[in-house]
Amino acid sequence: MLHIKNLHARVGDKEILKGLTLDINPGEVHAIMGPNGTGKSTLASIIAGKADYEVTEGEILFRGQNILELSADERAREGIFLAFQYPVEIPGVSTTNFMKAALNAKRKHQGLEPITAKDFLKLMNEKRQLVELDKSYLSRSINEGFSGGEKKRNEIFQMAMLEPLFSVMDETDSGLDIDALRIVAEGVNNLRNKDNAFLVITHYQRLLNYIVPDFVHVMYDGRIVKTGDKNLALQMEEKGYDWIKEEVGA
Amino acid sequence: MAFTDNIDSSFAAVEKDLLTAEREAALASFKVLGVPSGRHEEWRYTNIKTKLPESLRLLDNGRQTTDDGKGKFNSFENIEGTKLVFVNGSYAPALSSASAQDGVVAGSLRELRGAYADVITKHFNKATDTANENFAALNTAFAQDGALIYVKRNVKATLPVFIIHVYDAAAADVFTQTRNLVIAESGAEVDIVEDFQNTEGEKFYNHVSEVFVGENAEVNYVTLQLDNKNTTSVNSIDARVAQDARYHITTLTMEGKLVRNNVNAYMDGKGALATLNGLYLGTENNHIDSHILVDHRVPHCDSNQVYKGVLDGESTGVFNGKIFVRKDAQKTNAFQSSKAILLSDEASVNSKPQLEIYADDVKCSHGAAIGQINKNELFYLLARGIDEATARGILTYAYGSSIIAALPMEALREHLYTRLKERLNITF
Repeated sequence: MLHIKNLHARVGDKEILKGLTLDINPGEVHAIMGPNGTGKSTLASIIAGKADYEVTEGEILFRGQNILELSADERAREGIFLAFQYPVEIPGVSTTNFMKAALNAKRKHQGLEPITAKDFLKLMNEKRQLVELDKSYLSRSINEGFSGGEKKRNEIFQMAMLEPLFSVMDETDSGLDIDALRIVAEGVNNLRNKDNAFLVITHYQRLLNYIVPDFVHVMYDGRIVKTGDKNLALQMEEKGYDWIKEEVGA
Repeated sequence: MAFTDNIDSSFAAVEKDLLTAEREAALASFKVLGVPSGRHEEWRYTNIKTKLPESLRLLDNGRQTTDDGKGKFNSFENIEGTKLVFVNGSYAPALSSASAQDGVVAGSLRELRGAYADVITKHFNKATDTANENFAALNTAFAQDGALIYVKRNVKATLPVFIIHVYDAAAADVFTQTRNLVIAESGAEVDIVEDFQNTEGEKFYNHVSEVFVGENAEVNYVTLQLDNKNTTSVNSIDARVAQDARYHITTLTMEGKLVRNNVNAYMDGKGALATLNGLYLGTENNHIDSHILVDHRVPHCDSNQVYKGVLDGESTGVFNGKIFVRKDAQKTNAFQSSKAILLSDEASVNSKPQLEIYADDVKCSHGAAIGQINKNELFYLLARGIDEATARGILTYAYGSSIIAALPMEALREHLYTRLKERLNITF
């Protein structure tokens, strides 16, 4: 589904990704762990199409298409979703209207008519319950005054609404208490199926107790330096990142 | 030949009435003041003199009505209210609906001048400054019709009053002059919505509203310029706010070739409150100038101003907001915020906040910000599959709609939200 080949990227003069390769197939959940400043969030932003980065080498194929040639909105309409580490507050636009615009943009891309008001309400009600988001949040301005946990639940709600094929979750667990973490994880687990895939970026192993990955990758200095199964995450948690640095010869 | 060249013969055709003495004085004043050039301090950023064509003439009989506007104008049909329609500056009774409420007079100033002579002469020209304001002087000399809204003591108007100005093809080459007089006696309450609509071709108008908010009265005045293409206008709203009164004025401009809105609030009585809000959107070569004055003359008054601009294309915006706190106006709270976002590299805005404070125990603040669409917000919408043009529209809507959100009348808010969405090419 998603194939990243020898990806190099930089911001200004600073090279952040230094030859990253990753293959993700439908039905899989991959986790990327690694110390701060190693390029995890940069990878998430580049997949989603944020303009701040310059890709100098390599490619990202999504269902056979090189998405580096697509704008962020085109990628989203093709089925890529980024759950933000820091969801943006937008006063003046309700989550309801935001989702209506986003859903209809996708439907238009698929050659479908805009969703009817009735079906839309039904869909919203169904999906918000996945993440135990109260109805009142949907009529409020996007993320305005939401707690950290509410913002992350709203991200998963949006994911549920848009039913992406491939989702990147950028440190969705950061700042969450155990209850919020459980709700977010259950929401994601409910969305998992044989046709979609997830890339879970995290600093800690904790989230992976709830969203059990098929593969765990350790990222260091702009590359993936180790890959294993869920036990690798436990190992990382236990031993920290220093041994990786030694092993890579940093 | 400019319209000022034959001003005396034009004036000779103005009907003689109870206001003739005021008109003559105003004409004399205008002859001294003239049309301001770009060198006039208050018109530095808006050189209107070059924008009024040579062929322009003053409406010489004040009654040039056609009912062509019928069916072609926005009558706000889904909003209940008293509707006063003026076509090319003259009252169109066939298109209007009068007020049926006791104690609420709403109709044509020209038609009602006999029946309400006392109240009209007591207030007319008592809020405007015809000695210094060029266009107010011209208006006072020549305007013969407009709305009279008179709400008697302790009466709360149950329906909003709409003043709808429609300019059609018959107003070409005419510098239309109209005049409103709004009087809310002590304890009275009224909501007023005024809209200017140009249905066809280029238009020029000079409009003045005088608003008297009596003791403990409340007036909510909403000025709309929604269908304002190819329009060059000067619109002045001069209010006198008495003790414990509440005055709210909002201007909402969606387009306009050259728009000058003068919003003047004179805080005359202790404990009075004024809120002055505005949203303006410029496109192409539009020029939109908001000129605000709050004059705190007495102690213990509050004023709040929030103005927001959105400028696209090669449009220009001007915000000139003056807060004047006189020596006696202790315990004044005056707040001003002026913001603008520029959607293109060619758009620009001149923002000039002015605070003149002569009292020593006051709280006054002002802030001005000019910026662009926030990149993080934009990326958030793009990442959900919304195309860039729509995303920018949504963010502009988010920014501007707070001015609408503060308005009374839910039906009006809904109407304006829809209009703003249409203006920004977004749907949801």
